[in-house]
Amino acid sequence: MKATIPRLRGGLTPLIAVLVVLALFPLIGVPRIWLLYLFIFFIYLAMANMWNLLAGYSGLISLCPAAFIGLAGYTMTIMTWLGLPYYAGIISGAIAAALFAGLISIPVFRLKGIYFAIGTLVVPEILRLVFLLWQPVGDVRYGGGAGYSVKGVTVVSPSAEYWMALAIAIVSIFLMRYILRSKLGTGLAAIRDNNSTAASSGINVFNLKLLSFVISAFVTGLAGAIYYVYTGYIEPMSAFGIKWLIYIMLATVIGGEGTEEGPIVGTIIVVFLYFTLARYAEVSLLIQGVILVGIMLLAPQGIMGTLRKTRGYRSLLQLATRR
Amino acid sequence: MDILADLATPIVMGILLGGLYAVIALGLSLVFGVVKEINIAHGDLVILGSYLGYVAMSVIGIDPIISLVIGMPLLFGIGFVLQKYILNRAFKISMDATLIIAFGISIILQSAYQLIWSPMSRGLTTSYALESFTMGPVRFPLTYLLDFIIAIFVMIFLREFLRRTYLGKAIRAAAQDRKTAHLMGINTDQVYAYTFGISMVFAAIAGIFLGLTFAFTPVSGMSFLIIALGVVVLGGMGSILGTFIGGIAFGLAQTLGGHFFGLAAQMLVAYTMVLAVLAVIPRGIFGR
Repeated sequence: MKATIPRLRGGLTPLIAVLVVLALFPLIGVPRIWLLYLFIFFIYLAMANMWNLLAGYSGLISLCPAAFIGLAGYTMTIMTWLGLPYYAGIISGAIAAALFAGLISIPVFRLKGIYFAIGTLVVPEILRLVFLLWQPVGDVRYGGGAGYSVKGVTVVSPSAEYWMALAIAIVSIFLMRYILRSKLGTGLAAIRDNNSTAASSGINVFNLKLLSFVISAFVTGLAGAIYYVYTGYIEPMSAFGIKWLIYIMLATVIGGEGTEEGPIVGTIIVVFLYFTLARYAEVSLLIQGVILVGIMLLAPQGIMGTLRKTRGYRSLLQLATRR
Repeated sequence: MDILADLATPIVMGILLGGLYAVIALGLSLVFGVVKEINIAHGDLVILGSYLGYVAMSVIGIDPIISLVIGMPLLFGIGFVLQKYILNRAFKISMDATLIIAFGISIILQSAYQLIWSPMSRGLTTSYALESFTMGPVRFPLTYLLDFIIAIFVMIFLREFLRRTYLGKAIRAAAQDRKTAHLMGINTDQVYAYTFGISMVFAAIAGIFLGLTFAFTPVSGMSFLIIALGVVVLGGMGSILGTFIGGIAFGLAQTLGGHFFGLAAQMLVAYTMVLAVLAVIPRGIFGR
């Protein structure tokens, strides 16, 4: 089968036009609430993209995105307590998440397939316990279960937070594009299709998986730290909570695991559900659980995966990419 | 001698508590060993057992242990249906699909418990739940001893069941080689459904004894799933003796960790041990 990469007619122009319009939103007086919707959308999109890189392309079902999010959020918060500006905190948060990913890869990368998933499930729980006990900065009134407020972020304008989230979403999209068309991406595809054949063709399976794990941790950490700049407060129960995993997994699975555009479609739906179901908090998770099970049983490839198979979509794609 | 007397309490407590952990993990281990799937919803199904005991006690007014007469068949049925109509289908899609669907079921169960029983913490406070007994210089809660006795009983029962009955042999055959078992005329899908049902019977038992020992909330399932996974990882997947040893190892890590580093750090010590064991012997102590 001829494997071509579909390119939209006119190159990147339409995409860039959309991004410019999105970037101008805070300046042209778009309602605050819309900026909030989009902010959450960008954050989840970056995380879902990175989860997709692991689950959809590297064959790693990682159940520990919350570990990277919470760790990056905490590192950022502690940095602001030590007197550093918040943006330095965000960067150090992402670096801490990436380093941590490297560290836990020692035990969890010895595990294959489903064992890997179990190993990663324990990780956020350990971090949660650590941050419940450990009070790195401040006196006894702060830290532990009481959590920390992020210092010096009251001066950060909502527009700046919006732009940071937009930037991380764009980075995650282009990073995915770049990775999938690079040596790393083709190597990962080979591993996903057949592990042992890939290994015998000279692909270093371990290194490639580790690389995508660390990249994913870094970007997820960035998004998580930006999110905690927005909330201005962090505590262990929610920072390392299971809800992160639910939203990220739901977004990727609804949109289509292992498709580039899947997380975008999935995240739109998840954010829509997030805000429409906010009023019915008690049934919100129930409905999302039912959707997760339903999608997985009826259309395991998600919306984009299923759509790709239909003739209409293919001819539309042909129309759009013909030069 | 002083150190020994000091350590006697955490050691005995750890071993007894390990019995409870082993019962919680047994169903998980069985399903993994036979069906080769990780039931992420196992903890929440155990908590369902606890809630059934709670209903039996507070609404109907019967003892939670006696309520197992209803609880075990009920959970068996739920497990059978879950495997036959949902997980067997998921299994044919992919390994990941099974994991994600089980995760979805776990979310559904947790929010259903919150709707039905409110997020409040519950416990099965029977008259004997607060009793204690003396052994040498130290006193222990009676429920811990019950946990350990029931663990031994359940393990022996499962072992004999798998060895002696026709269904037990079919389950073992399907566990060893699915395709060959199928060729020998075993309906593996049906066997998987029975296996899941049996694992849920153990979940019902575990749920009752968990409720007698600890308080539980609608979201406790996740913590007990992680404990059960730790137990199974320590002992090795799909081995009954391994699960028992793993349970005791986990219980000891928890109580000794609490003894040396303070009560707040006890779970941290246990979880860290699980990751450390994974790093050194990925297939566990008794893994195959």
